[in-house]
Amino acid sequence: MPDSEKVTDKVKSVAEVVRSIPDGSHIALGGFAIARNAIVFAHEVIRQQKKGLTLSQGVMGMETDLLVGAGLVKKLIVGGGSLDRFGPVRCINRARDNGTIIHYDSSSLSLAFGYLAGALGLSFIPIKSLLASEMMERLEKSAPDYIRRGKCPFTGEEYAFLRGINPDISVVHVQIADAKGNCWINGPRWENEEQAKAGKRLFVVTEELVPTEYIQRQPERTIIAGHRVEAVIHQPWGGHPTGVFGCYDYDAEHLKLYADYHKTPEKMNEYLQKYVFGTRDHWEYLEKIGGLRRLNEIRAEAIFGY
Amino acid sequence: MSGEQVSASEIMVTAAAKEVHDGEIAVVGIGLPQVACVLARRTHAPRLALLLEIGVAEMEPVDTPVGLADSRIFYRATCWSGFLDTLGMNLHRGVVDVGFIGALECDRFGNVNTTLTKDADGKEHYFNGSAGGNDVASLAKRVVVIVRHGKRKLPNVVAYLTSPGFVNGRSRQELGLRGGGPHRVITDMAVLGFDNASRTASLVSMHPGVTIEQLLENTGFPLEVPNPIPITPGPSKEELRLLREEIDPGRVYLR
Repeated sequence: MPDSEKVTDKVKSVAEVVRSIPDGSHIALGGFAIARNAIVFAHEVIRQQKKGLTLSQGVMGMETDLLVGAGLVKKLIVGGGSLDRFGPVRCINRARDNGTIIHYDSSSLSLAFGYLAGALGLSFIPIKSLLASEMMERLEKSAPDYIRRGKCPFTGEEYAFLRGINPDISVVHVQIADAKGNCWINGPRWENEEQAKAGKRLFVVTEELVPTEYIQRQPERTIIAGHRVEAVIHQPWGGHPTGVFGCYDYDAEHLKLYADYHKTPEKMNEYLQKYVFGTRDHWEYLEKIGGLRRLNEIRAEAIFGY
Repeated sequence: MSGEQVSASEIMVTAAAKEVHDGEIAVVGIGLPQVACVLARRTHAPRLALLLEIGVAEMEPVDTPVGLADSRIFYRATCWSGFLDTLGMNLHRGVVDVGFIGALECDRFGNVNTTLTKDADGKEHYFNGSAGGNDVASLAKRVVVIVRHGKRKLPNVVAYLTSPGFVNGRSRQELGLRGGGPHRVITDMAVLGFDNASRTASLVSMHPGVTIEQLLENTGFPLEVPNPIPITPGPSKEELRLLREEIDPGRVYLR
């Protein structure tokens, strides 16, 4: 390729990207429950044993549960979480029950606002959620670095003030990106945009890597412009077993399997041994979960997107 | 269509559909609230606008979704956006008329808990948390809580206050909350409302086939009961047909 394209090419392997992440980092995850989780990224963080992490997210899901289940997480800043009908996020709930994790629990909009403030370079943002709730009561005591009470300087109305969130790293899984990092997201995108742009470093995982010319045909679809992106990881099926709209459905069989395994710490370790430590990379993992036959079963139908 | 009995879920959904009006904007989650809103749209509220917190407007699913994160619920939406649009520029802005929320527990003031349960010895067991629940409870003009009727589900005081109703019986203004708060709690036994001065739940109607003794035995807080007790209207023939033949023919939610 021409030299200018070599220089602007941000495509890297997930292993190389994760190697650059220090222990103790605050990582913002772009999935929502069982939709568009960066599973390939979470697996590699587990393989490389990055410890003492802070994770933030609007609605936690499988990627978060994996990382907490792997014992790598010290703190959570989150709005909620579940595996939808496949059950609760048991590793996370166990950690909260046992007091082995610090957790700031708020709401979906609170995380979106916190990221928005961070993305805009604002040190705080007022919100009318959380007032009179137990989350507010607990966080005012335990997390004055995160939330305060305040009044509007113009109207005197009471607000909760949320600290702007600037994660060390934001990771989002998208359907389409070019080598420069320009990203299109298909389907709904919860808090992806503001979360991505709040991060001090931004990594994207993409199902499909397209030429920049493709992006240039419909630039209004670009949610994240490439100049903000540090690295692009190209991994088809990188969200399995979560669903990626337009590409594949969630893998109900594997989610049921996981729901069973993650019920106890012992079985969770078995799961990690088999599917994460026992696989060298995502391609080996995909073979283990049923290979081409299974992937073909969950591949999206164009008309439905699932 | 069979002559089988109307189920409690079908009564709940019919009651919930009456809580949304034509031309209103509603934020829904998955399950019975969505079925209720689809029924409302097919009957008295053709201009009801439905929003999902994740950034979906006016979806028309053809396959039953297992949750909010299921691509099936995105199908034939007219707009895909995100939290800042639905929960921000609609809900926080103050234009959402009705928000439906589920509950682990709902107390006598309509305070909802979706965060944790407590053992008798005080040990906490965490669950899903707020997600958009607190946002809806804080900001929608009217909140409708959907919950199964039971002493543990309807305690005098919630084990954790995730989504505020009328905390300690105080007014929304005193609490600093903008939305109007809980309007109805719809269970598989009754419809409860908050139209009294104490801002505590009172009985609006009891479902057919339920006795007042059963109801009170299964309610963990004192319940104001009118005399005579109105019976919750069941679905009309057409509503039942719509539910069973078109809206949830697979009986995924209307068991």
